[in-house]
Amino acid sequence: MNAPTHFEDFHVGQKFAFGHYPVTKEEIIAFASEFDPQPHHLDEEAGKRSILGGLAASGWHVCSMAMRMVVDDQFGKAEARGGAGVEDCRWLKPVRPGDVLRMEIEILEVTAHPRRNVGFVKTRWDVFNQKELVCSIITTPLFERRAA
Amino acid sequence: MMWFEDVQTGVKTDIGTYTFTAEKIIDFAQKYDPQSFHLSVEAGEASVFGALIASGWHTVSVWMKLMVASRQTGDDRPGDPPRSGASPGFEALRWVKPVRAGMTLRYSTQVLEKVDLKSRPHLGLVKSLNEARDEATGALMMSFIGKGFMPKRPKGE
Repeated sequence: MNAPTHFEDFHVGQKFAFGHYPVTKEEIIAFASEFDPQPHHLDEEAGKRSILGGLAASGWHVCSMAMRMVVDDQFGKAEARGGAGVEDCRWLKPVRPGDVLRMEIEILEVTAHPRRNVGFVKTRWDVFNQKELVCSIITTPLFERRAA
Repeated sequence: MMWFEDVQTGVKTDIGTYTFTAEKIIDFAQKYDPQSFHLSVEAGEASVFGALIASGWHTVSVWMKLMVASRQTGDDRPGDPPRSGASPGFEALRWVKPVRAGMTLRYSTQVLEKVDLKSRPHLGLVKSLNEARDEATGALMMSFIGKGFMPKRPKGE
């Protein structure tokens, strides 16, 4: 099928799989230095002593990398109109240098806006590394409706 | 940070401000959210938002930046609790209004609930209501419920 571009292209139960994001130590440290400078995101030895058991990416970095994969695959071509928010986000496993992330998305609900020419598309973003599910995000982006 | 036992629910703490310059908005978006309305003033003005606006992941990541900075004040003494912690996730993040280039947001955190963890007796879970407000008008721009593990005071102290 063609990539979805408008609200009407999304249907409950629809699934998308895409993305290939190699995670480097340099990028983990660069993101953490700016936004989450806790020792377990900056230093291997500090990470080993922490609950994470080794250097691991900030959870906010994991969400941001997921966003990048979604924009590159879907939103970049679609008539996306921002996001209402995130109902739930679970950071399930540490994301480490050398991991390669990918996305699986399922459409949970589609709701037309009562007045504006947009619709809400509630989706679950599952972020996997090469072995397992590392993060699950339920979020509701808005998309433009097709002209009648 | 404090020990889990020392955390008081209901206390709201101001953790500081951050100005979303066009340069910072564009730098974040080029790396993580390259949608046109986050990438240039011109494209933002031509969009439904009418202005360059920050990625929602940028506005929430700044909360973390300010939280970490707010824990770093003062000197460490032996027996002090750690200044960092891990989180299992968050809930109910709302991007209430678009954050336009040039806006300064003031961030806060307020403890809502403390939860004992049967599976991890040395840790507790603290739920917090976190907000960002437009410094100029006081309007709520973003809020979410954060969850953080905090260590319990070691026995004998």
